Amino acid sequence: MLRIENLHAEIDGKPILKGLTLSVNAGEIHAIMGPNGAGKSTLGYVLGGRPGYEVTEGSITFDGQDLLELEPHERAAAGVFLGFQYPVEIPGVSNVQFLRESLNAQRAVRSEKPLSGGEFLKLAREEAKKLDMDAEMLKRPVNVGFSGGEKKRNEMVQMGIIDPKFAILDETDSGLDIDALRIVGDGINRIMRQPTKAVLLITHYQRLLDYVKPDFVHVLADGRITRSGGAELAHQLEREGYAEIAA
Amino acid sequence: MSDAVLDLPSAREEAWRWADLGGLAAAAALAPVAAPEAEFLDLLGAKLLFVDGVLDEARSDLHRVTVGALAADDHALGRRAAGTGWSLHLDAQAVTDPVQIVHVATGRQNHVPSEIVLAEDAAAEVVETFVGAGWQNRFTRTRLGKGARLMRSVRLLQPAGFVSLREAAEIGEAASLVAVFLGAGGQGSRIDAQLTMAGDGAFVEYGGTLLTSAEQRQECAVRVNHAKPNGASRQVWRAVAADRSQVSLAAAVEVARHAQKTDGEQSLRGLLLDRTATVNLKPELEIFADDVKCAHGATVGELDQRAMFYMQSRGIPRARAEAILTRAFVADALERIGDETVRAAFEADADAWLEAALD
Repeated sequence: MLRIENLHAEIDGKPILKGLTLSVNAGEIHAIMGPNGAGKSTLGYVLGGRPGYEVTEGSITFDGQDLLELEPHERAAAGVFLGFQYPVEIPGVSNVQFLRESLNAQRAVRSEKPLSGGEFLKLAREEAKKLDMDAEMLKRPVNVGFSGGEKKRNEMVQMGIIDPKFAILDETDSGLDIDALRIVGDGINRIMRQPTKAVLLITHYQRLLDYVKPDFVHVLADGRITRSGGAELAHQLEREGYAEIAA
Repeated sequence: MSDAVLDLPSAREEAWRWADLGGLAAAAALAPVAAPEAEFLDLLGAKLLFVDGVLDEARSDLHRVTVGALAADDHALGRRAAGTGWSLHLDAQAVTDPVQIVHVATGRQNHVPSEIVLAEDAAAEVVETFVGAGWQNRFTRTRLGKGARLMRSVRLLQPAGFVSLREAAEIGEAASLVAVFLGAGGQGSRIDAQLTMAGDGAFVEYGGTLLTSAEQRQECAVRVNHAKPNGASRQVWRAVAADRSQVSLAAAVEVARHAQKTDGEQSLRGLLLDRTATVNLKPELEIFADDVKCAHGATVGELDQRAMFYMQSRGIPRARAEAILTRAFVADALERIGDETVRAAFEADADAWLEAALD
């Protein structure tokens, strides 16, 4: 599904990713772990197409398409979802408007009929309920006044509504208490654990991986994947620390 | 027609430093255009159509509005508007259906005075729309008696030319004036207002949104004078400027020595859609009382690039994301319009402008 080859990327001329290679197949969940500053979030932003993150070398293909050729909104329509480490607050724009615009813009690219206001609300309410989010929050401006945990839960509600093929989830576990962690973990499994879908979980800690079992764990250090393994690698990292393993 | 502007103050005077007097003179000299369709909103109540400053009686329905000679004030813009104009006088406790006025101009210049006088506890709503070309100049005197309430909504939709509005209002004890202006046409403009809080506990909300593109210039210059205690005034203005256009917002609050417990707020915010555009903001406070609360904020910026990327990453194309964010930026300046039909019309005008500007 996703194939990253020898990816080099920089911000303001400063190299962050230095030859990253990774393949993700349908039906797989991959975890990317690594110390702060290793380039984990940069990888997410490069995949999402954030301006200012310049790819200087290498390639990314998604379902055979050159992902780097696509605008951010085209990547979304192709099935890529980026869950933000710090979801952005948008005053004056309600969650409902934001999500309906998002979903219908994607549907338009895929030549699908737009959802009516009523159809969309029904879908959004169901999804909010599954993630234990008060439906009233759908009416509020996007993430404004939400706690850290509520923002992360809102990301999952968005993912449930958009129903992407491939999700990059950047530190989705940060800011969550134990109960919320379980709800979010269940959400990721329910929405994304399917033979036709795949997930890239970017995380610093192993705790989310107790709820979402990765098929593969990769250690990202200094812009490169230095080690790959199964779920047991995450436990080893937690026990022994990055310094030992990443080197 | 250039003599039309000879007796206006020059830009060397502080209150006129951002005024586009050249644009005003040019508007008055524009070649005549065909009169555009006058469109009234679907509301009950009086409908007045002025064409080049003259009431079109056949297409108007005055209800409680009267037309006759009115005096003006001695303000540079106001005094030009002495002559025949419209008046709405309501007795105590009277409530009327909305008054709609459409000002159509085919070119040159026209000047019309008006007067809104509401007695104790009377309530009224006035909606004005400017279309066409040329220079349209209006003087509006408002007097609100004890507990009276007036909601005014004014939209400037001329594709070209200039609209100047001189407003003088006295707000009595516990009376309320809410005025919302929308500049969403291609014309230049100056909204020049002097508001006096003449009674204890008077309330004013005065603001709006000015949208400019190309070489356009729009401005407001509003002074609120708190002459009596316990008054509250809010000035919420939003400016959006594209291309090489310019919006200037000057909002002043004066609090007299005995006007204790005054609550004044000024929120002036500008959004630049292009680096070549200009937004000037000047919040001003002159406070002589010692027990007052006056908050003011003035910021100019560009669209939040983090929000832009967030929206794009969810599938919203860049131009649409810009439109949504810009719309959200101006929303709080329009949401004070109480009448749903009027608010929807103003929002649609703002949307149409944004779609054209961001295209």
